[in-house]
Amino acid sequence: MIRSGEIIESFRIAIESVRVNLMRSILTTAGVVVGVVLVVLMGWTIKGLDAVWEQTISIIGKDMIYVDKWNWTGGGNWRLMEARKDITLAQVEQYIDRAEAPELCMPTVRSWGANVVVGNQSLRCSAMGVTYEYGMTPAGEIADGRFFNQIEDEQAADVVVIGHNIAKTLFPGGNALGKTLKIQQRPLRIVGVVEKRGFLFMDFIDNQVFVPLLTFRTLYGFQGRSFSIAIKAGNEAMLSVVRDEAVGLMREIRNVPPSRDDDFSINEMKAFDAQAANIRLYIWIVGIGLTVLSFIVGSIGIMNIMFVSVTERTKEIGVRKAIGAKRRSIAVQFLVESTLLCLTGALVAFPISQILVGSTQWLAVHVFDFEAASVVSPFIPLDLLGIAAAVAVVVGLAAGLVPALKAAMLNPVEALRFE
Amino acid sequence: MTSPTPIINIEHISKIYEMGDEKVYALRDVSLTISKGEYVALMGPSGSGKSTLMNMLGCLDTPTSGRYEFNGANVNELDDDELAEIRNREIGFVFQTFNLLPRATALSNVELPLVYSGMKADARHRRAAETLASVGLAERTGHKPNELSGGQRQRVAIARALVTQPSIILADEPTGNLDSKTGQEIMALFDELYRQGNTVILVTHEEDIARHARRIVRLRDGLIESDKSNGASA
Repeated sequence: MIRSGEIIESFRIAIESVRVNLMRSILTTAGVVVGVVLVVLMGWTIKGLDAVWEQTISIIGKDMIYVDKWNWTGGGNWRLMEARKDITLAQVEQYIDRAEAPELCMPTVRSWGANVVVGNQSLRCSAMGVTYEYGMTPAGEIADGRFFNQIEDEQAADVVVIGHNIAKTLFPGGNALGKTLKIQQRPLRIVGVVEKRGFLFMDFIDNQVFVPLLTFRTLYGFQGRSFSIAIKAGNEAMLSVVRDEAVGLMREIRNVPPSRDDDFSINEMKAFDAQAANIRLYIWIVGIGLTVLSFIVGSIGIMNIMFVSVTERTKEIGVRKAIGAKRRSIAVQFLVESTLLCLTGALVAFPISQILVGSTQWLAVHVFDFEAASVVSPFIPLDLLGIAAAVAVVVGLAAGLVPALKAAMLNPVEALRFE
Repeated sequence: MTSPTPIINIEHISKIYEMGDEKVYALRDVSLTISKGEYVALMGPSGSGKSTLMNMLGCLDTPTSGRYEFNGANVNELDDDELAEIRNREIGFVFQTFNLLPRATALSNVELPLVYSGMKADARHRRAAETLASVGLAERTGHKPNELSGGQRQRVAIARALVTQPSIILADEPTGNLDSKTGQEIMALFDELYRQGNTVILVTHEEDIARHARRIVRLRDGLIESDKSNGASA
């Protein structure tokens, strides 16, 4: 058992020792400072990415499911998917007729290589043919103007709703509404601009234009195109019901024999979580590698200075032993000192990390125009400070162990004789 | 004069240091008994083995052979931590170079043995302050060693030795670093401690100092040369 008096005494000595050798202590802890800064930066970056990602999928809609020929997240065998039969509009319509679980469902069709022309300016983007109901999904939310209505939809009107980036690029003044743009030489009137949807990883969403499905047919035709079904479950709890129903119905509609796998893919926003998790993992691996390295360097520095401290205080150790300090008490004294050194390093590291974090966030938002960063906190989360301090304590204990044992095992007679 | 209760009883102890192939005998088959309330001086020139014997008596070192009983406990069988406990409770050390902790106040220095014995802070402060007062330093409790004179430092060291109320006080050349007047004052303090019933062991090579003791044990070449009571003592 270690007595509280001894611990307090150890802290008193350690604080005194760190204070007397303040410059030496701070220099010694440089490695630990770097390590703690890295831990905090890594944690903050991951938390920031999570926040951005959460924002992204909640904007696009956590309750959205897309039935498509392709698996969007790149899973599955590419050749097998290519060999799948296209999903036809007739199949989509059958599904829409029979589906009961979803709140909304609608056909969508896409041309990736659309060319949008305004005056003598042209822009490559992707064109989507959708029904007016698309305006009721989060991805079709309007910032300016309106989505096209049911009548325009049914009459194949020459109207278009454009994505945030398209509006920003082609109409930098912000006056896109009512203007005309040309797709496939056909003039289309801009009735709405979609809210900025794309965040990190999902930038393409803002580089899209939406036209009524039948307008799309006159522009590009339906021949050779695979449709997809955008399904809004209504809420997250309904997702699995809607998914199961969609799988069942689509297998039936597309005559998939029971022995065969689905010949279509169910895409959910949640599926992208795996990609986000990958990015997080890379940051961890790189971050942990750097952190471990700097803590190894740091603990060598601490260990070195602790050996110096033990040698400098050999006589003192002898005196303490002579008046009754046990090995344990001596070891505790030096462990407390090395731990306190590391904590000093952590204390130095915290303001440095905060300055780095705060300025990184500010630069990202204000200088590099990376709007996604605005949802990231410019402050270090407290739990990260706790983790970093805990790591510093562990490093201090580890680095102090051998010097502390050396001090504890000193022979009192020889230690007293030391000058 | 001597009381019948032995505190220290060593029988046929030897201490051998191995220097390469050579064996150096620091102590050869020494036997000695010291009883409660005695005032003993260990004398001898350097190399006589008196320092080795003092380390042994102070439980800082263990003999190569022979038996050492301290207050009835067999010191040979104790491990490092048990020896530390005996030193803490039973032995008060006073060193030639004072060996105070330079950055701690007089009070903290005197408290230190009580910290290791686990006494509570309040009781510790009180006991340490009382002990400092008993050596005439009631006004100096908050001073650090570098703010004290040599004699005052040694008084702090003596207070540190006394604070646990040990069975023996072991003083190694306690006046060696003091001028003769201050040395006399310190010796007067040891005489006073003896009169109060403490067991005092002085290690010295100075006849003047040894003369204060009631019994003088002289060592030479690792052997006890003579062991006589001192008629001319204080």
